Amino acid sequence: MHGMRGLSVFISEIRNCQNKEQERLRVDKELGNVRNRFKNEKVLTPYDKKKYVWKMLYIYMLGYDVDFGHMEAVSLISAPKYPEKQVGYIATSCLLNENHDFLRLAINTVRNDIIGRNETFQCLALTMVGNIGGRDFAESLAPDVQKLLLSSSCRPLVRKKAALCLLRLYRKNPDIVNVDGWADRMSQLLDERDLGVLTSSMSLLVALVSNNHEAYWSCLPKCVKTLERLARNQDIPQEYTYYGIPSPWLQVKTMRALQYFPTIEDPHTRRTLFEVLQRILMGTDVVKNVNKNNASHAVLFEALALVMHLDAEKEMMSQCVALLGKFIAVREPNIRYLGLENMTRMLMVTDVQEIIKRHQAQIITSLKDPDVSIRRRALDLLYGMCDVTNAKDIVEELLQYLSSADFTMREELSLKAAILAEKFAPDLSWYVDVILQLIDKAGDFISDDIWFRVVQFVTNNDDLQPYAAAKVKEYLDKSAVHETMVKVSAYILGEYSHLLARRPGCSPKEIFNLLHEKLPTVSTTTIPILLSAYAKILMHTQPPDQELQSQIWAIFNKYESCIDAEIQQRAVEYLALCQKGAALMDILAEMPKFPERKSSLIKRAEYSEADTAEQSAIKLRAQQQTSNALVVTDQHSANGATSPVPVGQLSLVKVPSMITTENDTSSDHTLSQQNGALSNVDPQPPSADLLSDILGPLAIEGPPDATVQSENNAASGLEGGSDAIDGSAIVPVEEQTNTVQPIGNIAERFHALCLKDSGVLYEDPYIQVGIKAEWRGHHGRLVLFLGNKNTAPLVSVQAIILPPAHLKMELSLVPDTIPPRAQVQCPLEVVNLRPSRDVAVLDFSYKFGTNMVNVKLRLPAVLNKFLQPIQVSAEEFFPQWRSFSGPPLKLQEVIRGIRPMPLPEMANLLNSFRIMICPGLDPNPNNLVASTTFYSDSKPAMLCLVRIETDPADRTQLRMTLASGDPTLTFELKEFIKEQLISIPTAPRAPAPAAAPPAAQPTPQIPPNDPAAILAGLLS
Amino acid sequence: MIKAVMVMNTQGKTRLAKFYEYLSVEKQQELIRGVFAVLCSRAENVSNFIDAESIFGPDSCLVYKHFATLYFVFVFDSSENELAVLDLIQVFVETLDRCFKNVCELDIVFNYSKVHTILDEMIFGGQVVETSSSEIMKAVEEISKLEAASNAITLIPKSASGWRSR
Repeated sequence: MHGMRGLSVFISEIRNCQNKEQERLRVDKELGNVRNRFKNEKVLTPYDKKKYVWKMLYIYMLGYDVDFGHMEAVSLISAPKYPEKQVGYIATSCLLNENHDFLRLAINTVRNDIIGRNETFQCLALTMVGNIGGRDFAESLAPDVQKLLLSSSCRPLVRKKAALCLLRLYRKNPDIVNVDGWADRMSQLLDERDLGVLTSSMSLLVALVSNNHEAYWSCLPKCVKTLERLARNQDIPQEYTYYGIPSPWLQVKTMRALQYFPTIEDPHTRRTLFEVLQRILMGTDVVKNVNKNNASHAVLFEALALVMHLDAEKEMMSQCVALLGKFIAVREPNIRYLGLENMTRMLMVTDVQEIIKRHQAQIITSLKDPDVSIRRRALDLLYGMCDVTNAKDIVEELLQYLSSADFTMREELSLKAAILAEKFAPDLSWYVDVILQLIDKAGDFISDDIWFRVVQFVTNNDDLQPYAAAKVKEYLDKSAVHETMVKVSAYILGEYSHLLARRPGCSPKEIFNLLHEKLPTVSTTTIPILLSAYAKILMHTQPPDQELQSQIWAIFNKYESCIDAEIQQRAVEYLALCQKGAALMDILAEMPKFPERKSSLIKRAEYSEADTAEQSAIKLRAQQQTSNALVVTDQHSANGATSPVPVGQLSLVKVPSMITTENDTSSDHTLSQQNGALSNVDPQPPSADLLSDILGPLAIEGPPDATVQSENNAASGLEGGSDAIDGSAIVPVEEQTNTVQPIGNIAERFHALCLKDSGVLYEDPYIQVGIKAEWRGHHGRLVLFLGNKNTAPLVSVQAIILPPAHLKMELSLVPDTIPPRAQVQCPLEVVNLRPSRDVAVLDFSYKFGTNMVNVKLRLPAVLNKFLQPIQVSAEEFFPQWRSFSGPPLKLQEVIRGIRPMPLPEMANLLNSFRIMICPGLDPNPNNLVASTTFYSDSKPAMLCLVRIETDPADRTQLRMTLASGDPTLTFELKEFIKEQLISIPTAPRAPAPAAAPPAAQPTPQIPPNDPAAILAGLLS
Repeated sequence: MIKAVMVMNTQGKTRLAKFYEYLSVEKQQELIRGVFAVLCSRAENVSNFIDAESIFGPDSCLVYKHFATLYFVFVFDSSENELAVLDLIQVFVETLDRCFKNVCELDIVFNYSKVHTILDEMIFGGQVVETSSSEIMKAVEEISKLEAASNAITLIPKSASGWRSR
């Protein structure tokens, strides 16, 4: 093999080529030569063939495509003699890929070599299949390769190749390994004494267990035994000892295999393994010899990974972190590198985060390491370990490092700094500072996402606006300003510079001049932003400044004929608008708040993290962890409107849009309107419902509504008993100590949730409690979403359900702590036993800082949730109605104090409670007939029928008749509907006469057989 | 799994390139150039790791060792232990050294086929098949004997390697 003179001559000729062109000519000449020789194959000796094939391979390595000779290479495989066969196999595996058609032609020959007696042929064939064998090979050769691997008569040289060949075939088609049969054999293979075969078998095992560890449990103790044998250096031949360390590769592979088993149950095996691991962890020192160091630390780092995987005791984990802490400070750069890398992996084990933080200073030092690889690892680690407590320090370090960082790292660095600043900002002004610094220092690397985001935050937070405006002005005062800074400044100053107007140097004119100075330096994409800013500045200038106006108009005039369409359009439009005067105010008014949305930055970061999914044991484990985790960071559902908790980890925005949208939707129902609307009700003598008077204006109900609330209670109390649905009475007095103000009206939220199945139940500055429910018959499944809005954890979280007697409720475990910006889901199962209007209460408390917050919240597991609307025809209705002959199954009541509403509205209201209006059953247009079914655990579904007769002359009273097969149900449902009709406030006083049909309307001609007429007769 | 093994000199000339996943020649050359561009800017006394994901895509690691005029580069995925691969480079170089007695770049250039054989006895389809340098040597010698049985061997004397090397 060495000693092909022709090859050597060719190589030296190539080496003597002065330039690439000469080399190409020489290569082309040689390829032509080889091609010709192959054509006249008969005269080629095996030696010649071999020489030419090696020339081809050499040319291929130099980067030239060798697109001929493939057939020749494949056909050589079937040559009877070793030299030609060898050349055939080598050329085939170098030049062809597994999808090559010619390969299929060779399968039979290859198989013959594998099952033949010639071990050198077997090795050649296995090597080729192991390198490029595809599915076809897998299907036809797997049994033979397995036989070779297991054969006791085969030499280790063949068997180790067979093991890896099988691995390749298994990857191509996992079905070739029959799990049931193979697991035992695999286990036997691990008893192998030859370390070469054992190493290959271990690689095979790693591939098998990574797909299906369950089948290979029997291999686990064997792995531990192997590891023990190596670690104790028992019976290890000299040639497998590498710098005094018994085969580090086999140790590493064995520990890798063990990481694919989720746990080790057998206590004896576990103990043995931990002893070995402890020995590795403690017995490894940094020595002078680099190779010995590398080998011993290869084993050590793998042991660390295994310890992490096995969820060792906290003590051992701390030991590991301590070791890593030592490593990141050693002289040996490889160890420093891996120390940082493994610390990053270790972050997945939540327990050790605090211990890792102790090394923060050293990690920050590593940001200045002379080796860029190490700096990168340090950056990754800092990024991973960042949380609210250290965000300020870390982000500021990153900003500082930005100025000196390698060009290649700046983009990543600035992106990471931006993400961390957003995720963990202790306050928003700091966030603005960070982003502006980023733009200032690394403007070229700041993507649009980053500056869009800061604009969103500023727009959505009123108190941030003057600060941001002042800040960007400071940057503009500098001599050299990055274009991105001009964009942000123009936007922010356009919107908010008027807030600064009284400060020195901030008059509209000065701001305009400051911005306009930059115009000649910016590109066409920035000019439109500047033009908008000018228009806004002009609009905000009060009293108008004629000079400024003419200056700005001149600019618009100039750009009216700009070649860039966007600029031109803006100039034309702004000019026209400016001349419109007052209309300008509306169009150029401040930008509305942005809808709360997930940061595209963070989305991007998550995407790229997901992108690098690796099938390593560590990654698999990480995936397992997230799938089991209670904590979900962001719960946006596809249809954003029904998203139960819109505030995900990023809701820095103080006023989440959900609140507004929710109000919008609920106003559609005209249900949960401002309670204040109640004061429109005709003044009724206030009832002596002292309890609700005292308890009404509770802190948690929100002070703006407090007085209204009591009126509400007073009004709803007019029917006597305290209003169960409006359960302010359930809030105990001692909770007055709450200093945390809820956002939004709790009662309103509850009412809204009585009608829909998802929404916010409670919100304050720290937490948002969302709810999502599914109802099926008498079963309900609610999920409580507890979202921590803060950058600090909420602790002592407690949720206790106080169920009424008629509901069986089971709340799954609520975690004691909610991590920063995380959301926890707690499912709640509900079973309805009997009809009742009592309401379940959630006693919820948490601690934030020194604030202990406790609220009692009504849960919307109300009567109507267990109703199913049913459309009843006249044929079904009348016999039923008749069969419920009177009290207690059929109850009738005249109700006064009804909130006046048009009939269609009342019909909608009933429908929204799942009590279905059956139109046409009652001939009187002032009456409503409705039906529904009620589900409970104790009885089959019960039909309920309702009839409401209204008086067009006095909309504050009506007569309601309710019938069902269960006296309790009849009573409860009647009371329930009554409560809704009385306590439901409506916002505008609807022009009742318009909606309600005039009483004078001619009565329609009713045929004698009309069921409605019969009904009317029955009812009267 | 090991994805690729490359040997290149400090001028960026490829001396050995073996890819264990199929890649077109152009792609192979692009990767080799990418690796060299990073390697040639590395200082002495830094770690043996460089960021491979920017060159080879996700889930790839790269370990290299610099000996005299040559870089030995192994690219692999996260199923391998970085330092163990570094040890493997050492075994590869030690085996070459045993084989060529004080191996130098020219040995590798002119004994291209032998270097291939050694690598094949050490790495098989991207997996480590043998880590003992003496076992590798045994296998290589066995192959040489088989070849010698059918060939007239023309040894190139080592002194000939003085040919106007660049």
